[in-house]
Amino acid sequence: MKTLFLEAPYEKKIKLDSKLIDYLKNNKFQRLGLFASIQFMDQLEQVKELLKDFTLITTKVPRTMHESQLLGCNTYALNVEEVDCYLYIGDGNFHPLALVLGQKDNKELKEVICNDPRGEMKILTVAGIKTSLKKYRGSLMKFFTSKNIGVIITIKPGQEQFRPSLALENKYPDKKFYYFIDNNISFNQLENFPFIDTWVNTACPRIGFDDQEMFRRGVINLTDAMIAEKLLTQESYLNQG
Amino acid sequence: MYKLELEKALEKIKEVNAKTVCIQLPDGMKPRANEIEEAIKKDTGAKVLIWLGSNFGACDIPLGLDRLGVDLLISWGHVKFCKTEGWP
Repeated sequence: MKTLFLEAPYEKKIKLDSKLIDYLKNNKFQRLGLFASIQFMDQLEQVKELLKDFTLITTKVPRTMHESQLLGCNTYALNVEEVDCYLYIGDGNFHPLALVLGQKDNKELKEVICNDPRGEMKILTVAGIKTSLKKYRGSLMKFFTSKNIGVIITIKPGQEQFRPSLALENKYPDKKFYYFIDNNISFNQLENFPFIDTWVNTACPRIGFDDQEMFRRGVINLTDAMIAEKLLTQESYLNQG
Repeated sequence: MYKLELEKALEKIKEVNAKTVCIQLPDGMKPRANEIEEAIKKDTGAKVLIWLGSNFGACDIPLGLDRLGVDLLISWGHVKFCKTEGWP
């Protein structure tokens, strides 16, 4: 079977909020980490022209096809050079929240400014995800002391991470790992396995953050499970509580 | 608000001579599934199956379509996903 991806580009012209330039200047934001979701990539050159007074830092982050493209799963290793703030071109909160989550292990969080293509800007604050980050830290601590770990593996080819998840056994020889297979994670099935103390998510990393509420026994992402001790002891926004 | 790029879809169907096509849409575009189905059927005669489930990203491709004889999957709203083993 062949597959064709159609990007569904935004059909109107992207507008910048009339307040955006002043806001950036007033806050002395000169170096902007520029990102957009795929629907807006084809107009990014025109956007750059409108922002020519600023230094635009663009990068190609993991799993993407294009420089400046942002995926919702880009919550790790943004590796963006020093920026004063992030500027996201696109709609909704799902994608730009990745830019907030991607900074959880930094000491300070850079502001994430979203410019909706219709020309409305908003600042994404960490307030909305503070509770989930707090729970996430709690789950990291619980994982550390848990004996029985449920590792969730999706069969989606783009997400499946069975082999990398096996590294957990070497890292934590005193824990017992059980492997669970699913397509979309069946949250309502989790309680049927009461012997699991903490879950490790190997599917989309956003599940570990956005769906904390669905895991009564707590969930952490595979990447964080591998470096749990470091995450809990380093100076970071996550550890500021 | 977003372009359907139907001409690209129709061109690809003809190029690979697909007889059965599955269309996968993000939630915001699902109400336009009938429009896409009709256009494909009229222009190419291909049978269209509409994926009911999720379309979280290019990482989220429906499984088992081969067993139904689907020749081509057209997935809207995403671009090819460069999977990496483990994260990040």
